[in-house]
Amino acid sequence: MTIPLDELRKSFEQVGYICDENTVLTVFLALDLQKPLLIEGAPGVGKTEMGKVLAEIMKTELIRLQCYEGLDETKALYEWNYQRQLLRIQMNRALEEEQIHEEDLFSDQYLLERPLLKAIRSEMTAVLLIDEVDKCDPEFEAFLFEVLSDFQVSIPELGTIPAKKIPVVVLTSNNERELSDGLKRRCLYLYLDFPDVEKEVQIIKAKVPGIAERLAWETARVVARLRQQSDLRKKPSIAETLDWARALVSLNRSRIDGKLVADTLNLLLKTRADQQIFRQEVGVDGIDQVLARGGNGGEIYGCR
Amino acid sequence: MPLTEANTEQFMDENLAVFAGLLRQEGLPVGTTEMIDALLALQKIDLSSRDAFKTALQATLVKSRRDQLVFSRLFDLFFVPAEQHRHRAEETILRQEEFTRQLDRANLELHFKGESLQLSSRELKQYSALSAEQRNRLQDFVQKTETGNKVEAEFRPILETIVKSHLRYCRNRDEQESRNVDGTNNADGAGTGSGGDEYLREVDIAMIAAADMPAAEQLLKRLSRKLAFQILRRRRSGPRSGPLDLRRSLRDNMRYGGIIFNLKHKPKRRSKQQILLLCDVSASMKGYSTFVIHFLHGLHEVVRELSCFSFSDSLEDLTAELKGRANVNQLLDRVIRRSKTWGGGTDIAAALRIIREKHPERLNAKTTVLVVSDTKTVTLNKAVQELQKLKDQVKRVIWLNPLPTERWADYHSVAMMADLVEMWPCSTIDQLEEVLSGQL
Repeated sequence: MTIPLDELRKSFEQVGYICDENTVLTVFLALDLQKPLLIEGAPGVGKTEMGKVLAEIMKTELIRLQCYEGLDETKALYEWNYQRQLLRIQMNRALEEEQIHEEDLFSDQYLLERPLLKAIRSEMTAVLLIDEVDKCDPEFEAFLFEVLSDFQVSIPELGTIPAKKIPVVVLTSNNERELSDGLKRRCLYLYLDFPDVEKEVQIIKAKVPGIAERLAWETARVVARLRQQSDLRKKPSIAETLDWARALVSLNRSRIDGKLVADTLNLLLKTRADQQIFRQEVGVDGIDQVLARGGNGGEIYGCR
Repeated sequence: MPLTEANTEQFMDENLAVFAGLLRQEGLPVGTTEMIDALLALQKIDLSSRDAFKTALQATLVKSRRDQLVFSRLFDLFFVPAEQHRHRAEETILRQEEFTRQLDRANLELHFKGESLQLSSRELKQYSALSAEQRNRLQDFVQKTETGNKVEAEFRPILETIVKSHLRYCRNRDEQESRNVDGTNNADGAGTGSGGDEYLREVDIAMIAAADMPAAEQLLKRLSRKLAFQILRRRRSGPRSGPLDLRRSLRDNMRYGGIIFNLKHKPKRRSKQQILLLCDVSASMKGYSTFVIHFLHGLHEVVRELSCFSFSDSLEDLTAELKGRANVNQLLDRVIRRSKTWGGGTDIAAALRIIREKHPERLNAKTTVLVVSDTKTVTLNKAVQELQKLKDQVKRVIWLNPLPTERWADYHSVAMMADLVEMWPCSTIDQLEEVLSGQL
């Protein structure tokens, strides 16, 4: 399915997915060239959201395959309904009906569709989200090759099933292990990084309705400062920024100061070690200094 | 030649092919598929937009974050706007004379065994662009290598490779610094959280400048966490792991009249590894050993026991110092200041003997011993005997050798140790990551 570039850009804005031009263009090319899109980046930058957003934009079904260690084709592609097949055999025997043929047992009736097969057999162009592909085993990664390059799957009992409509495939990875060259070669590549302050303000305003302009800027600046702390084990993600912004709104705060950040730190930094680093390396004064450097308007709070 | 509509496409294809060649030279896996994708993508975009052009090529030719940084650097060098291109051509003529002078000077300064090193003109130019201090440092390195023991004329290609790698490193670092100063990192899609220290991966650890150490330590910390996660994953049992549990299978399948089609498995049992790290901290080795200690420090949570010893002419137990969640930098500083072994000579035999005699409880069938050393020692035969005894007592011994593999053949000690145990090169962070993630 092809969506003109301008339309895609507008659609992203309409559904509240704020991203840069580089991202829009890469997604456009993936759709237009009908290539899977491999998205890498730190947790919480919007990789999975991209799949959901594309399904929303294209008004189609999102088929999600969550990868984990040990995932195999019976969970990802298809499985025969053994219990039902056995029942059928037993029933046949009990009722003394005519002998059952093998092809009757291995028919659609006994096929349990899993996400990959569902995407391939979908009547409309579906969005197939293969989430956290780096968590699956290398063997399964190799198994994905056929789906990703030829958009078809092979089932020994049924033969090769080509896609009725080529699905839009989005793969995400947290880069916890190196993916194989074969997989990467079949995909277009997009690296999503944390947004700059300006973009994050746009995201906050889009996702937290009613937030004051100043509070949105201060929120984004504080989070950006925390992300600069390279020794943090887990940097605050966009989702955590939004949670924090919502919390500040519900606390009726219109300004942020170092003490408020320290008091609500649990929403941004989720490990004790990271909170310790905040107290030692940044502290209340550090946040106050960051906020003091900004002004009232957006231009003063710019991304640099 | 002015570009016209007719010849633009031809220029484009040719330029793209040359550019792909450059990317391949830098190690990017750009194959025919990527090239076809790139050409198809270029047909879909507005070619007058440089950003769109760059994004289209990036999406199709690049497949990892590391490659993205290399791509971006090469793209900015290769595809320059027409105006800038003309300006550059004029400047090139003016710079030619200056360049020739620099080249002559560089050739004079970088020589080995009476002959200049075989460096490309680009590398010589990079060398000339270094600060006086950086040039002196490199000259010192070449000179020390030239006068070192067992350094023959055949060592020239290795030395050239090291010098080239260092020049590449300096270039990457300067670019990184200029990006930081300009704050232009966002143009490449790098936001506030990306690690810009990837260029340190391929540099010889001994050549990393003091100013880059914090970045290198952050990189190590990140890789260490990644390794810890990998080890943890391997230990988790998958759905089909473990031997067949016949009893549970029979019981579970009674409802199907005894026909077994739901197999039940016992959970897989895997015990945590015990790692004993033995670091050579003699003068030539301490840089490498510090890096290995840094790397392994993050594994405390996923290994059953991590013991750490430093040795030169004697042995010192660092385990207690390095345990826990304390700041590894401060601990290392303290250990180095207090240590008697740090920066001394090397006696591998003595170190291995003391380990066996004084710490037998740490050596058992579950222990993996990691030795970080260049194998140079005072009593080689004794060391080999001790290594054999150690090997018999533990699960496996992995030797991490920071000497370039090309030089291994020059040292009898390397051959003797490598005969006994697995030996891996570890002169760069990349190599260190590869061996530790592959072998632990």
